[in-house]
Amino acid sequence: MIGDLLLSIFNADFLYSVIRITAPILFAALGAVIAEKAGVVNIGLEGIMMISALFGVLFGYWTQSWLIGVIGAVVIGVLLALLIGFFAFEMKTDIILGGIAVNMLGAGGTIFLLDMFTGMKGNTGSLVTRELLIPTVDIPLIQSIPFLGQVLSGHAVLTYLAFLLVWLMWVVIYKTPLGLNIRAVGENPNAATSIGVSVQKIQYIAIGLSGALAGLGGAFMSMYYSQGWNSGMVAGRGFIALAATAMGRGEPVGTMLSSLLFGLAQALRTKVSGMQGVSSYLVSVIPYLVTIIGLVLYAISTKNKLKKRHTVTKGAE
Amino acid sequence: MSDKNLFLFNILRGLAAILLALAVAAVFIFISSDEPLTALKYLLLGPVVSFKSTGNVFNTTSFLTILAAMIPTIFSGLAVCVMFSANQFNLGGEGAIMLGGFVGALLGIYLKMNTGLHQVVCVLGGALAGGLIMLIPAILKVKLGASEMVTSLMMNYVVMFVILHFLNFVFADRSKGATQTFPFQETAKIPEIIANGTKLTWGFVVALIFVVIIALFMYRTKWGYAIRMIGINQSFAQYSGMQVGTVIILSQVIGGMLSGMGGSIEVLGRFGTFLWRELPGYGWLGITIAILAKNNPIFVPFAAFFIAYLNKGCNLMATYSDVPSEMIDIIQAAIFLFFAAEQFLAKYRQRIVVHNTQRDLAVQEAAASQGGSNS
Repeated sequence: MIGDLLLSIFNADFLYSVIRITAPILFAALGAVIAEKAGVVNIGLEGIMMISALFGVLFGYWTQSWLIGVIGAVVIGVLLALLIGFFAFEMKTDIILGGIAVNMLGAGGTIFLLDMFTGMKGNTGSLVTRELLIPTVDIPLIQSIPFLGQVLSGHAVLTYLAFLLVWLMWVVIYKTPLGLNIRAVGENPNAATSIGVSVQKIQYIAIGLSGALAGLGGAFMSMYYSQGWNSGMVAGRGFIALAATAMGRGEPVGTMLSSLLFGLAQALRTKVSGMQGVSSYLVSVIPYLVTIIGLVLYAISTKNKLKKRHTVTKGAE
Repeated sequence: MSDKNLFLFNILRGLAAILLALAVAAVFIFISSDEPLTALKYLLLGPVVSFKSTGNVFNTTSFLTILAAMIPTIFSGLAVCVMFSANQFNLGGEGAIMLGGFVGALLGIYLKMNTGLHQVVCVLGGALAGGLIMLIPAILKVKLGASEMVTSLMMNYVVMFVILHFLNFVFADRSKGATQTFPFQETAKIPEIIANGTKLTWGFVVALIFVVIIALFMYRTKWGYAIRMIGINQSFAQYSGMQVGTVIILSQVIGGMLSGMGGSIEVLGRFGTFLWRELPGYGWLGITIAILAKNNPIFVPFAAFFIAYLNKGCNLMATYSDVPSEMIDIIQAAIFLFFAAEQFLAKYRQRIVVHNTQRDLAVQEAAASQGGSNS
């Protein structure tokens, strides 16, 4: 009985949807990774995703090109992140408050902007046509492998980009001079300054990149995932991304794994809520609950490690 | 003298930040609206003035509804003040308010008591629920070092969906079209101070009393001192022998209790049954208010009034012109950025400080040269 249930859940379609659902979280989570490496907390990811998602649709509609839509979303993401950076670094606004401000813009400001630009209320309705969606690609060879092909092939271009970026992010952080500087700034800004690294410049670069990534996540949401923008669309994914990063220890690969875990939880929620006798509300709790449990497990494991090493680190701050 | 100048400067700086935020709003209004002046009129004056052909008169009813709207946000503002003072970026106010409202509502529906006592029990129940839920991020922070910000954000969603589950499947009044609970008993409802439909209930008085209580707590008790000291310098607090962990948990539990209390007072005062189907948003407003109040409880009512006034203005603007009410979020975001910006207008502060110092130096030098010529 339970075996049948599991089989009906864990089929190729389901695994395909896990990957699809993970992608936007992964984008934002990678954004959190790069910011955190430079010692910057970007809690505005949620708002950036919302606003980028809106402008992705608008730019796409105005130019009738999905690609320009995505690029527009990324540009907006970078600008918003730099805005947070400007207020945090130059004006000394607490960076968490700067992030909350952008989240507010994301929640209500987007509805206002949509109304201002198009006169539409709360969602973009029919602005997104089939041609304006981010296209999907079939991967040659892999697509003909049974099961695996069904799971891995036929995703949106941006889905593949998300997973590619995990590798790219690792390369940038660990194999390039920029990555070295970012890590130096994040671990010890004073030491970085003493060898002539401009802390502020590096932090601007890092938060700008995090904005670009959140922008991609937003574009994915509105231009592929939900096929249009609506006011409840991002639904805490920016926050889940922060949790995924914390759980993935701020490392690209670890963050990808925890993002997949949340993707799985979210996919499970979609799957189970369709079943009879299951409260869709309680199922909706799963991703958020998994996040909290994940954070707890992560915290416990860090704590144990620290005990073993008998060292004091930043984590205790 | 110099202190007085700086104090004056800080007030002017705050006003400048607010004006700048309103200017940002005005720019957006002029870009987006066909009738920007009408929109601005309703935004800025609409909340207290009724425009009539015979002339403009002060609108008392509208003014009272603004005061009524402050009830939940004073509580959430106080909650954020306490938590942020201890440097705890707990964003779980939203969840705690909704939970407090829900628990207060259930007690108001299913308990049988005399009026007077019944309200108190409901509100205390709401406060208790809010405090208990905040124990989760607080304990996880202190015992495991998990970020209270992330756990509290996640908790908001968990609380919301669990409440919606119980609302839909356990406590729903099936005789109604919409999903809602059974009506509160009359003994549980919080009455208006003057029965005039403005919803200005006795909860407003309770809120003001709590402003005083929390101000005294923060500035006149050992625990309040510990909370503020931990916020300023946690290491120092630790080395001077404070029980940092306990105080951090305490600050968040107090925040949760205030939030839960605000939620239950709002629900029992404003509605006849539990209607919230999403997070009410007072938690986020509380953050704006705490920032405007610079985490000082005494300033919370003023900040709450300002935000309630703006909110009302935005709603009127949306009703009587073509500007959507979500303008409030843009104004709030701008206030956030400028008001919290330590470097905003810092040049002028620098100038005041330099000016004072130069004057002091000049006096000293004059004294010194006088001394030199004498010898």
